[in-house]
Amino acid sequence: MMRRLLTLFRKELLDLMRNRAALIPVIVAAVIAIAMPFSITVVIPQMSHEPLGADADLLKISRAVGADELSGEGRVQLFLFQQFLLVFLLMPITGAMSLAAHAIVGEKQARTLEPLLATPITTFELLVAKVLGSLIPTLVISAGALALYFAGIAVTAEPGVARGMLTVRTLLLVLGIAPLAALVSLQLALIISSRVNDPRTAQQFGVLIILPLTALLVAQFTGSMWLTNRTIVGLGAVLLVLWIVLTGFSVALFDREAILTRWR
Amino acid sequence: MISAIHLSRQFGSRVVVDDASFEVRDGEIVALLGPNGAGKTTTLRMLAGLIAPTSGTVSIGGVPLTRTTVSSLRPQIGFLTETPGLWDRLSIVENLRVYAGLYGVAQRDRAIDRALEMFELGDRRSARAAELSKGMRQKVALARALLHQPAVLLLDEPTSGLDPEIMRAVRQLLDERRASGCAILLSTHNLDEAERTADRVAVLQRRLLALDPPDVLRRRLTASRTVVRVNGEASAHLAGAQRFDPRATAAAETMMLTLRDPEREVPELVRALVAGGAAIVEVRQEVATFEDVYLRLVGATPSKETRAS
Repeated sequence: MMRRLLTLFRKELLDLMRNRAALIPVIVAAVIAIAMPFSITVVIPQMSHEPLGADADLLKISRAVGADELSGEGRVQLFLFQQFLLVFLLMPITGAMSLAAHAIVGEKQARTLEPLLATPITTFELLVAKVLGSLIPTLVISAGALALYFAGIAVTAEPGVARGMLTVRTLLLVLGIAPLAALVSLQLALIISSRVNDPRTAQQFGVLIILPLTALLVAQFTGSMWLTNRTIVGLGAVLLVLWIVLTGFSVALFDREAILTRWR
Repeated sequence: MISAIHLSRQFGSRVVVDDASFEVRDGEIVALLGPNGAGKTTTLRMLAGLIAPTSGTVSIGGVPLTRTTVSSLRPQIGFLTETPGLWDRLSIVENLRVYAGLYGVAQRDRAIDRALEMFELGDRRSARAAELSKGMRQKVALARALLHQPAVLLLDEPTSGLDPEIMRAVRQLLDERRASGCAILLSTHNLDEAERTADRVAVLQRRLLALDPPDVLRRRLTASRTVVRVNGEASAHLAGAQRFDPRATAAAETMMLTLRDPEREVPELVRALVAGGAAIVEVRQEVATFEDVYLRLVGATPSKETRAS
């Protein structure tokens, strides 16, 4: 089983390497995810000579992060950098979505699906290889962007902010929630991709998946919700169960006959 | 061996294949002929385990093809789809490598080299599939279907769009596979190819209309015409010819008759005409082309779509 899965996964990576333009949305999302927080937190305050710590409201909200040892400016920076970390959750999702949405319907359109389905590959192997083929490249790009994010914080932020970023919460978000949220979204996108007739429809449906995550992000920024470690672990567990259920669904809903005979 | 018993397939109320029974023996090539929409591709897909029959059974090497056996039977089947279906951004060798991995081919690189050599693709092995001509793509797809050395080959229009040179190479290859004991079923519109390549021809138009060797099919379905050329006006001897065929005709120096058993009747006819004073210059048989046979078969069946009750 692993041999066939890895064979197809390697093919997905090779295909993607030859079509680097498909990665442009992920790279653009990475650039925005890095540029936006530094502009707001470091560049604009320096250019306008209005430090963030001078804003009473921001100082008040930033107390949620603790870190009482930091200066007012440093605490606000830490708060904002922590908030922008959530953008990195969206990045692999938005980037990989276009790849996953194209995964099955694209094969069908290129007429490569029928010979593939005639091989001994199982539906589970096919779908997992497709998900990993979309997920891994975007996670690698996201990890690179995240490394740049932390390096940028270490260089440009107030002393102690970089250390303040290295918390259990950050690790849970980066190593747990980000890949799990991406997996859930990709699995959904794949289900859509195997049920619709053209990639554009798949992508349009795929965009809907981002909405609940955007709502979470907005709630964080407005201070109406703060994700504690316990909430994050709970959210991770929900996402994991959801992914397992969705994988089962996607295998059950993948109708080889309908794909071969009804799609034109 | 491929065996199909009472194979039927409906899509909604539309019957695409209706009660087709046939088998393809080991070391045999059967050509599946039929007009567009006759159910050829659907039949091949059912035999490849890609779609399930509505009723009837398929066996590969004596093992019934079912949901539970399909995965284990797939390595025995080589399937050439209607279109080559290559990954355009991958090279020839990369395309083949993926399939070798999926089929679990032992000594993968050797198997790929052998397939490339077979189709004279070795010097283009690193070319991307997108850069290949239609004929080359078809050759790669054929190489892919043969890569795992299947016992059964299902080929959907294998020579479609190929130039005569490549067509001949494909025919040669099919001969070799047949000699090695492979059971081959190929669908085609090319009657000449069917007649030249196949041991038996199956004519499908929703139902299986015929399944025989090409020459048997021809004999069974057409009576050959006997042409007699005489010195002078043939009409003067028409009465003698009409004793053998009341519908015999004459024009200028030529008489034409349809005899039920030419082997026996032609000598008698010649004797009778000579006795009647005819100076016979030539007697020959006009054999119907395979195209005539085919058209007669498919033309005899109503082409309108049949609805299942």
